[in-house]
Amino acid sequence: MLNYILSRLASALIVIFGVVFIVFMLIHLVPGDPVEVMLGESATSVDRQVLRHSLGLDLPLWQQFYRFIDGLLHFDLGHSLHSKQPISELIWTRIGPTLELALASLLVAFIIAFPLGILAALKKDKLADAAAMSFSLLGVSIPNFLMGPLLILLFSVALGWFPVSGRSGLNSLVLPALTLGTALAAVLSRMIRASLLEVLNEDYIRTAKAKGLSQTRIIGLHALRNAMLPVITLIGLQIGALLAGAVITEIVFSWPGLGQLTIESIQKRDYPVVQACILLISTTYVVVNTLTDIVYGILDPRIRLES
Amino acid sequence: MIKWILSGTCFLFLFFGLLSCSDKTPFDAEQSIIRFGMSSAPVTLDPLHATDATSSRINRLIYQRLVEFGADNKPVPGIADWRQLDDQHYRFTLTDKTFHFHHGKILTAHDIKATFDAVLNKATASPHQNILKHIKRIEVVNEQIVDFYLSRPDPLFPSFLAIGILPADLLSTGHSFSQNPVGSGPFEFSHWPFDGQLFLRRIEDKQLFEFLKIKNPTVRVLKLLRGELDLIQNNLPPEHISYLKNQPEIHYLSEKGSNYSYLGFNLEDKETGKVELRKAIAYALDRDKIIQYALGNAAEKANGFFPSSHWAAAELVDYNTDQIRAVALMDKLGYSKDNRLHLTYKTSSDPFRIRIATIIQSQLKDIFIDMDIRSYDWGTFYGDIKAGKFQLYSLTWVGIKTPDVFRNVFHSASLPPEGANRGRLNNKKIDQLIEQAEQELDLTKQAGLYQLLQQEIHQTLPYVSLWYEDNIAFFRDNIQAYQVSNDGNYDGLMSVRQINDAARVNKY
Repeated sequence: MLNYILSRLASALIVIFGVVFIVFMLIHLVPGDPVEVMLGESATSVDRQVLRHSLGLDLPLWQQFYRFIDGLLHFDLGHSLHSKQPISELIWTRIGPTLELALASLLVAFIIAFPLGILAALKKDKLADAAAMSFSLLGVSIPNFLMGPLLILLFSVALGWFPVSGRSGLNSLVLPALTLGTALAAVLSRMIRASLLEVLNEDYIRTAKAKGLSQTRIIGLHALRNAMLPVITLIGLQIGALLAGAVITEIVFSWPGLGQLTIESIQKRDYPVVQACILLISTTYVVVNTLTDIVYGILDPRIRLES
Repeated sequence: MIKWILSGTCFLFLFFGLLSCSDKTPFDAEQSIIRFGMSSAPVTLDPLHATDATSSRINRLIYQRLVEFGADNKPVPGIADWRQLDDQHYRFTLTDKTFHFHHGKILTAHDIKATFDAVLNKATASPHQNILKHIKRIEVVNEQIVDFYLSRPDPLFPSFLAIGILPADLLSTGHSFSQNPVGSGPFEFSHWPFDGQLFLRRIEDKQLFEFLKIKNPTVRVLKLLRGELDLIQNNLPPEHISYLKNQPEIHYLSEKGSNYSYLGFNLEDKETGKVELRKAIAYALDRDKIIQYALGNAAEKANGFFPSSHWAAAELVDYNTDQIRAVALMDKLGYSKDNRLHLTYKTSSDPFRIRIATIIQSQLKDIFIDMDIRSYDWGTFYGDIKAGKFQLYSLTWVGIKTPDVFRNVFHSASLPPEGANRGRLNNKKIDQLIEQAEQELDLTKQAGLYQLLQQEIHQTLPYVSLWYEDNIAFFRDNIQAYQVSNDGNYDGLMSVRQINDAARVNKY
């Protein structure tokens, strides 16, 4: 198991380095210049040259990349070109809200998806199944930029239960978490249903039934555990996406998360911030996927033994 | 498995429970706050580096300036009055009132010198350096008086000194004004949890203000209706404007604007380089309809850079909609129903700008022009415009006060990156008129020359003038004494009052 984890970590490092390198090159190739965005058009080319030099943007690309990696190895992400703030500070202020929203959305998704998926599987081809899957279809079909305002209209404007947007306590987390969570729940419940249906036809489930075990025990102990592998893959990927930032939801709810910071930095061509955000996002993806693989091993001893 | 799920769920509940307990409010929970909704956040609170409109507007509240602008956009005394001792020598004297910086120090002539020296210092890389490049030296006469010596005469010089004054002691220590501003204006910095949420305190009565960035206009409107915001200003689509106007608890203020929207052409392009085509487009556009339906009547038709109230504005003959004349011009160029012209129109990714582009596209169809609209993120769009990679584009000039803008925008020596002559206009007569106007030392005569110049530009048509968007504000019942300015600044917050304070404490 240790060897397996070590090899996964080694390949993860290579993937992260590759992503950072590609993003570094791409962002410098995209049209648009941070110096132009910062100085506007009243500045002379000498002013531009001075600023470009002071920001280190006049160095060859490989030197800029070397400086970035060197800083990284010394735990220094650099400063924002625009606000001059240390990037670690900028990111730190965004990680809390991002984590909050990601975990709350996950909680909402679990609360909706598990009962719905299990119910649909147990009542296959009945009204409950059709209703659960219709809800799921609705959840997948309604985009977040529509779901968000709809929830605001109902729960904030009409009922006055929650604030419209912003991050001002637990109350303000409910609607963005519902927006993201329902979409995730829709996908998750379909996966749980499909996976459970497959497992419920297995011999060992029939044996468990023959032994007279209660349905709760059969589902909870035998069926769900074996049906979880594809579900966990999906959850792993979705956690990565949630932590990377749900930009649309963040914009609708003015949620100060990492996704918004990344998009704004791309628009302003704030290269160091973009690089740092992408580094964090890719690391998150890789770490979550590695953890998913490890959880696989815990849930399915065959994988552990093979490794 | 159920145990796993249950314990995971319990962990998440515990996490959020702890999170809600750890919410810190850096101010008294009973403190009343006036909440101001904006579509974009300030980038920097350092006036030496601010170029975006939001930063400039917020900085006006934190810092004071030597000069301000009157209703006709002529410079008027700010914290100092001035005398022109000779063509190249201006003396600024601080007014009798004593101004204190927010860290307690008194504002003196040394701070003024230190501020402008910092702008002129190459190492500062200030974007305002170029407009002040004619300052030869600055001398402090005494605590109240400072002299500016210029390298060449310039009657517009005082207009260029509308930059916030910073304290010399902090400037010398390399203080980070961008994140921790210290000015002498009516508002002091409170805290800035993240770039979309800024708190300032009005010194006079300790009233706290929260500036919230809410990009989505629908959400901004809903927050106002719910009472989570007290005030919003500008950047609303017409349907939101008309909706809000009908809400009984919401009040509306409007002021004619001075920000100039235009359609720009690439004059080096073989199609848009033809003046007949540009005129045909000018005659084909029905700006009245666009203003009525797409801008909700919240704009005024423009003929040139400056609205009629500006001291240098010219009286220009309007390119009123004239389909017959437009078709005749297109016919002269050889285009017809069977031989249509294809043009590319570039714009930003702002949905409202795309909407305007599609209306213009539709109006130009009638004069045999098929327009391909391409929208880009700001960095790419701006980069393309500066590089001359366009046929047509539209943009807005914000906060233009002085006619020196004509050199920057239309002189042949101002091709990007040296200036903003994005359309690559190269017209000797226009160059000469610009130079002539710059050399005139009498402001009235200079205005006359700039008016002549504007007439020439109006004929050459490197820009088709569109409109000046009105500045509009919506606010709730509990807000009083707010005023909207013609350039969209936030100066109205200096006088605004909140009533029923007890009901408006920090709710969330």
